Amino acid sequence: MAGPVSQRVRNNLVAYAFLSPWLVGMLAFTLWPFLRSIYLSFTRYNIVSPPKWVGLANYNMLLTQDELFWKSALVTIKYACISVPLGIVVGVSLAMLLNANVRGMTLFRTIFYLPSIVPTVATSVLFIWILNPNIGLLNKMLARFGITGPAWLNTSPWAFYSLVLMALWGVGGSMVIYLAGLKDVPTQLYEAATLDGASGFRKMRHVTLPLMTPVIFFNLVMGIIGAFQTFTQAFVITPNGGPEDSTYFYSLYLYNRAWKYLDMGYASAMAWILFLMIVVLTALVFRTQKRWVHYSG
Amino acid sequence: MLGAIVFATGASTPRKYPDRKVVRFWHRWQGDWEKQVNKIVDAFNESQSDYEVVPVSVPGGGADSKLILGVIGGDSPDLMSMWSGAVPNMAANGFLTDLETLMTPDERRRFFKESYAALRDTGMYRGKCYGITIGADLMALYVNVKQLREEGLDPDKFPKTLEELEEWGLRLNKRDKDGQLTRLGFLLSDVAYVSRTFGGGFEVENGKPHIDTPENLRALEAIASYRKKVGYDDVLRFEAGLNDIEGAASWAFMHGDLSITYDGQWRVEELRKFKPDMEYRVYPIPPPRVGGTPLGGLVGGNYMIVPTSAKQKAGAWEFLKFWTGLDNPDRAATFYNMGGWLPYSPAVANSPTFQKWLKANPQFQAFIDILGSPNCKAAPPIANVQYLNDLIRRAEDEAVRGIVTPKQALQKIDSKFKEEQAKRRALGYDE
Repeated sequence: MAGPVSQRVRNNLVAYAFLSPWLVGMLAFTLWPFLRSIYLSFTRYNIVSPPKWVGLANYNMLLTQDELFWKSALVTIKYACISVPLGIVVGVSLAMLLNANVRGMTLFRTIFYLPSIVPTVATSVLFIWILNPNIGLLNKMLARFGITGPAWLNTSPWAFYSLVLMALWGVGGSMVIYLAGLKDVPTQLYEAATLDGASGFRKMRHVTLPLMTPVIFFNLVMGIIGAFQTFTQAFVITPNGGPEDSTYFYSLYLYNRAWKYLDMGYASAMAWILFLMIVVLTALVFRTQKRWVHYSG
Repeated sequence: MLGAIVFATGASTPRKYPDRKVVRFWHRWQGDWEKQVNKIVDAFNESQSDYEVVPVSVPGGGADSKLILGVIGGDSPDLMSMWSGAVPNMAANGFLTDLETLMTPDERRRFFKESYAALRDTGMYRGKCYGITIGADLMALYVNVKQLREEGLDPDKFPKTLEELEEWGLRLNKRDKDGQLTRLGFLLSDVAYVSRTFGGGFEVENGKPHIDTPENLRALEAIASYRKKVGYDDVLRFEAGLNDIEGAASWAFMHGDLSITYDGQWRVEELRKFKPDMEYRVYPIPPPRVGGTPLGGLVGGNYMIVPTSAKQKAGAWEFLKFWTGLDNPDRAATFYNMGGWLPYSPAVANSPTFQKWLKANPQFQAFIDILGSPNCKAAPPIANVQYLNDLIRRAEDEAVRGIVTPKQALQKIDSKFKEEQAKRRALGYDE
């Protein structure tokens, strides 16, 4: 009896030994800072000196006295509300187009996917040039139609919508997932719909989209989480929060509080409020899934 | 694999003098400036046999956060050039060494006696010296002589008042058939700086802010009204189209896109290198007709700091002395001239080497004049000066865009800053 048990223990130990680099990393660099930041959010902390307990003061000030906190939260919520649905519509539409059976389709798929693997910093710098009001590609194109394009990144509300536009640039990542979802739609359903005389639009509305909802749901959740954490593009393109603070994203303000003003306790409180916002929104989305997400099989 | 070996052995930095004590120096200069910094480092390494300074260029955006991580990780540089605005907060939070603890009594006496007051005070926090400059900045007006003459203006009879300068600026503007600016005559901006010319400034004395003052109001009104005259959007579009990279030969002034422009002293050296044939003048910004103060200025720029966790503080101080010229002003003059930097003291400015360079680059004299003026000041030495600077920048932007009046903008800075002070006090900060 001892033999198999000790063998099982040994196997488990070997498994944990192989897992240990990841486990140690996760515990030390993710879980511990995560838990520690709960404590730090109730302190005044500048990294070098020991944290000093201030109770709920950070939360109280954030919620009752900090105009920029609310401003940046609203900018971020507005961004999520616009960029996430837009990303889904564009991503699904692109996936449908790229699902067509035409020659050279793999090349088109690669071309549309490529921007999503370009680092955000590089994309941001590229967009600074594309959106330049005088010599930028976009305004040059608009000028051909007699339209004087705005100073995209220097005026409100255009700076905000420029970042929304930029988010679409990386839609290739979700598009690939939608494409995989489309491939999973059973062809016999289309055949049955065709026999019933359904038009192309009705097939998309009543066959494709319902069966794509699990993938849309996944991208919706990931999109919300990503949108609430938007930082790099705002930091690179409009590091000071943009015209009239229109691109002062929550994470940018959090970063400034932590690293510019050395207010780590305050920033930790901000991080926890952000975490709670994401958790609540994700929970709400999960609650709604019964009504609109259809899992086949 | 190679990366792992380098990381494991800590041998990422090639050493020229492996037997010497290493002084790790982080700085924020890149491109042509980095080459000048390396020359200064080489000169120091060749001048003595105890230390080897190893320079590392750390791009500006993340330099301060890298320092913070270095300090808490026990792997900080021994010396670093830091943006002056970050010095008070870093000092208040215990990241920086009080440099007076590294000075001998004689060095300390000479430093406090000899330094230009504004430069010295910019590195101070609560009466102690945490930063010494080797690359501080001041602003003055660069004037394109050819363009002025073409418009019938005499560059040698430069306006004595700001109002007259504004008239010149409007006259020098050029527009295309669609009314878009193709050349900008002059632009008034940066209220924190310009307010000094109006006899004002954003001061905080003993915790009491002096922000919503008549002088600052007049400065902001002048900025907003002049911008309105030129056209807010027109300037925005024009400026966005300029390929203006500091330290490179692409400065818009060099290419005739700006007739009179407000810029830093380092441009003198750039013009000498990249556009030696260009005829130009440099003048301090003239004060307004009423209530102005001549030679007003606000110091900012690169300050050398020694982190509290530095392992080789003595070596860092030796290098800092070498560069600043505290021990030998004439030798250090060469270094200041390399990058077109402001000398830390009149002793350097009056040294034969610096005077010789000044004779060849007489335009730099305007900056020396501003530096020596009692109206040239340091930013308030308060821990949350970066927060104040951010408030000022945002409020100026709103006033210039016409979202708020200049008065409302100043009131907003004042009330927001007081709120922040109250918040900090409630959290237990001293200020």
